[in-house]
Amino acid sequence: MHDIFVLAEHREGELREVTLEILTLAGQLAEQSGGKVTAVLLGSGIDEYAGKCASFADRVLVVDDPMYKDYNSAAYQQALVELIKAEKPHLVLIGNTGQGVDLAPSLAVELDVPYTSDVVSVTLEGDKPVATRQYYGGKIDGRIEFKDADVYVLAIREASTPAGEGGKSGEIQKIDNPVTTEVTVRKFLEYVEAAIGEVDITQSTMLVSVGRGIRDEKNMPIMEELAEAMGADLSASRAVVDAGWLPTDRQVGISGKTVSPKLYLAVGISGAFQHVTGIKGADVVVAINKDPDAPIFQYADYGIVDDLLKVVPALTEKIKEMKG
Amino acid sequence: MNVVVCVKQVPDTSDPDVEVHIDSSGKGVDESKFSFVINDADNYAVEEAILLKEKHEGEVTVVNIGPEAANQVVRMALAKGGDQAIRLDDERFAFSDITATARLLASAIGDLEFDIVMTGCIASDDGYSAVGVTLAQMLDLPHAAMVKSVEVIGDNKLKVGRELEGGLLEMLEIETPCVLTIQTGINEPRYASFKGIRAASKKEIKVMDLEATGLSEDQVGEAGSTAVMVEYSVPVVGELAEILEGDAAETSVKLSGILKEKGLV
Amino acid sequence: MNIEHGTFVEKYDLLGCIQCGRCTGGCPVTVRTDLNVRLFVYETVDDDRLEALSEKHEIWDCTTCNNCALRCPKGLDPFEVLLGLRSMQVEEGNIEPTAISALESVFNNGNPWGKPRALRCNWMEDIEGVEKVRILEKGEKADVLIHTCCTACYDPRIIPLARNLVRVMEKAGVDYGFIGEEETDCGSEVRRLGEEGLFEMLDEDNTELFDAYDSGRIVCLSPHCYNTFKNECENIKTPVLHYTELVAEIIREGKLELTGEIDSKVVYHDPCYLGKKNKVFDEPRYILGRIPGIELMEFNQSREISLCCEGGGGKMWVESESKEQRLSETRILDAKEMGADIVAVACPFCLLTLEDALKAKGFDEEMRVADILELLGESI
Repeated sequence: MHDIFVLAEHREGELREVTLEILTLAGQLAEQSGGKVTAVLLGSGIDEYAGKCASFADRVLVVDDPMYKDYNSAAYQQALVELIKAEKPHLVLIGNTGQGVDLAPSLAVELDVPYTSDVVSVTLEGDKPVATRQYYGGKIDGRIEFKDADVYVLAIREASTPAGEGGKSGEIQKIDNPVTTEVTVRKFLEYVEAAIGEVDITQSTMLVSVGRGIRDEKNMPIMEELAEAMGADLSASRAVVDAGWLPTDRQVGISGKTVSPKLYLAVGISGAFQHVTGIKGADVVVAINKDPDAPIFQYADYGIVDDLLKVVPALTEKIKEMKG
Repeated sequence: MNVVVCVKQVPDTSDPDVEVHIDSSGKGVDESKFSFVINDADNYAVEEAILLKEKHEGEVTVVNIGPEAANQVVRMALAKGGDQAIRLDDERFAFSDITATARLLASAIGDLEFDIVMTGCIASDDGYSAVGVTLAQMLDLPHAAMVKSVEVIGDNKLKVGRELEGGLLEMLEIETPCVLTIQTGINEPRYASFKGIRAASKKEIKVMDLEATGLSEDQVGEAGSTAVMVEYSVPVVGELAEILEGDAAETSVKLSGILKEKGLV
Repeated sequence: MNIEHGTFVEKYDLLGCIQCGRCTGGCPVTVRTDLNVRLFVYETVDDDRLEALSEKHEIWDCTTCNNCALRCPKGLDPFEVLLGLRSMQVEEGNIEPTAISALESVFNNGNPWGKPRALRCNWMEDIEGVEKVRILEKGEKADVLIHTCCTACYDPRIIPLARNLVRVMEKAGVDYGFIGEEETDCGSEVRRLGEEGLFEMLDEDNTELFDAYDSGRIVCLSPHCYNTFKNECENIKTPVLHYTELVAEIIREGKLELTGEIDSKVVYHDPCYLGKKNKVFDEPRYILGRIPGIELMEFNQSREISLCCEGGGGKMWVESESKEQRLSETRILDAKEMGADIVAVACPFCLLTLEDALKAKGFDEEMRVADILELLGESI
């Protein structure tokens, strides 16, 4: 009765990292409650993922059917309802991802059980989970307590628990598809990649942003290399766009775009009010500027006071090393 | 094409100078220094609803849960092209969680004639990303979350694109009536001019209290909630940037370490 | 959009135009954009074309510097036609997202910078030599009621101007006071972005607000607020001054002693809304001349023919697409060539645009841009 279900998430031939993170979290909780961790894997031709999940779980429930080749909330929900009713886990953990937020809330309603989302940490108090989540853009934490229930559904924020080493060897249990009727209300068609060369910086999760501190267009390549090494998009302050070193749609600030990346690395940007207004939504701001009094340091979480021409190439090297 | 669009009024706390202070109850925050705006994603939902109306005719109904002050965002939506509005307002609705909030919306929307219900995909204050999809299940309708494109492809069929991590779009077909939660950036929200807002104040905003919803007291507010926020606390964060000391070789090692630790590289 | 016949002809007295072209001939932005204001005056006579004309992007290039109006032999205000066209686009909801944010913020917060009203007075804390900045109660009497300007309340680069103005007032023993959090946007940029309805609301709000105090004069920090209250809010009865007018007066009366030396060559840049629009040319120069050590220089283009910095006319929120050199950069290059150490201004927008240009040109080591209030702060 203390068992934990974790929904495995995969896309385009890859098991997503969030699956292993949440399995790790589930393992920690199960250790405390004495329950077992079950990874639930819905898909088609997914033996490889099952093996990977098995090293993080006590058991992997596999439903292998063409119906689940690509994610479809309607099909997933039906299958999960059947499995949860049959297996009666105590906790169901799902990633708070593009897939999870499309699935977990309606699943909880159909099961008529408590649900909350975007959980950054979860503990067990007695028999019940207690969740911590953020409010007001991370300015306040909140403690969520649940009404008594047999099952609780929680959507867990990506990267809130680092994935562990695994090392378990859970039993892989293939079961028949519990959904016997065709799903018609919603159909998967295809995945469409973001158009190449058309970067929408308002949607970027990582931005390396260039300011007038770069001085000269001939220095732009070191910024491009850093962005590439980090897997980030390049954005800029007005001065750089004005100079024509980056297109207008890369401009951040009052007269440009408002961005909300997970990381905003401001290089050679002094942090004029008209600029920083555009980065209000950034999670982590790092500033590299040689002026220790530059206002950008008031908005940054981390700062390096130094010449960007020295720091940027060194940082690029370190990140390349780290990524192997 | 009739569209119902749900809008929420939220405090604008994104500015670095705006401090959020927990009030004496421990379950609320001091709102006296906030300015209030339409939730960002809802603003895009309103625009998408009006674009669909302009292209395929029909009406747009704006639904809000909030006090009288929330008329501000409702009127903006009406000024942009909404036809009528419902505002759910009762002290007993306070502290509603995802489920109780969706139940309230369902009580107001259930009897309307519509093809699509739209909500924003996330609220900037509570960040739940859940009310729209919860509402869909309560209305027993199909749904799609984080929608970045909508196209009408048949009498009761839409082609929509859901935005996934890394900007990948998941294209799918969905039958109407359905619920879509709209992602920011799907369109360019228009401006509601002051004259437009003033003219829209003539349009009716129907106000519903608990009795009007037909729900009972134990189905709304904290009593009707199953996942209750019981206590706010202040997260531990630094004020000014933490300056990494050392020469370029040292600082780059420190910074890359921090980025790795935070899962950013 | 419903346009009544002859709307523009009547509103802007278009039939008075003789198409001489002096407006376009003197328009400073023609060097970097396609704007031809004479042609707009000509074409807006035809009601049927208004809709199409309002969709032309050039209408957003105008900085409303007032040059065309000064040069018009018939006394028209040609650029107002462009504002009329902008207002048509605003009614349609069809404007730049940056301008939308600014206008929505004015509506919600009383300032265009997206800042909460409750933070409007944060700049008043811990001013050197000032125990407490005086905020007036409704009905309270003060010789001078100061209107701060939204930019001076919130922009860290401009806040020192407001703080120095308070120091000057205290030092000279002026009976002054502020409105406080209730102070609101003047509507200058709102009107210039074409939001006529919102401007009307601000006009009413400000008129009512000023009426609630027993003040002898309203003093504005920014020439833009000054111009609006003085010339566009018709029901404000209290005399309105720019701070340079008040400061020149108190220096003349011997109430303010300037002792600190600023040993520099200073060239004064006339802000359009102070100079060209309101003919306040002498007071700023008088103040600068009274600061010990300053050697005052003049631009070739000064006073009535001063070059616009491109900060007004709503341009803080609507960028030109032009890649040509900014006028502010031209201005800085001129100052550099003259050998000036300081470019002095008397306007928050001029300060921001010229300082940006100075940094873009890489002259920040050898030159600086400063508002007269900052120089006063150094000298008292």
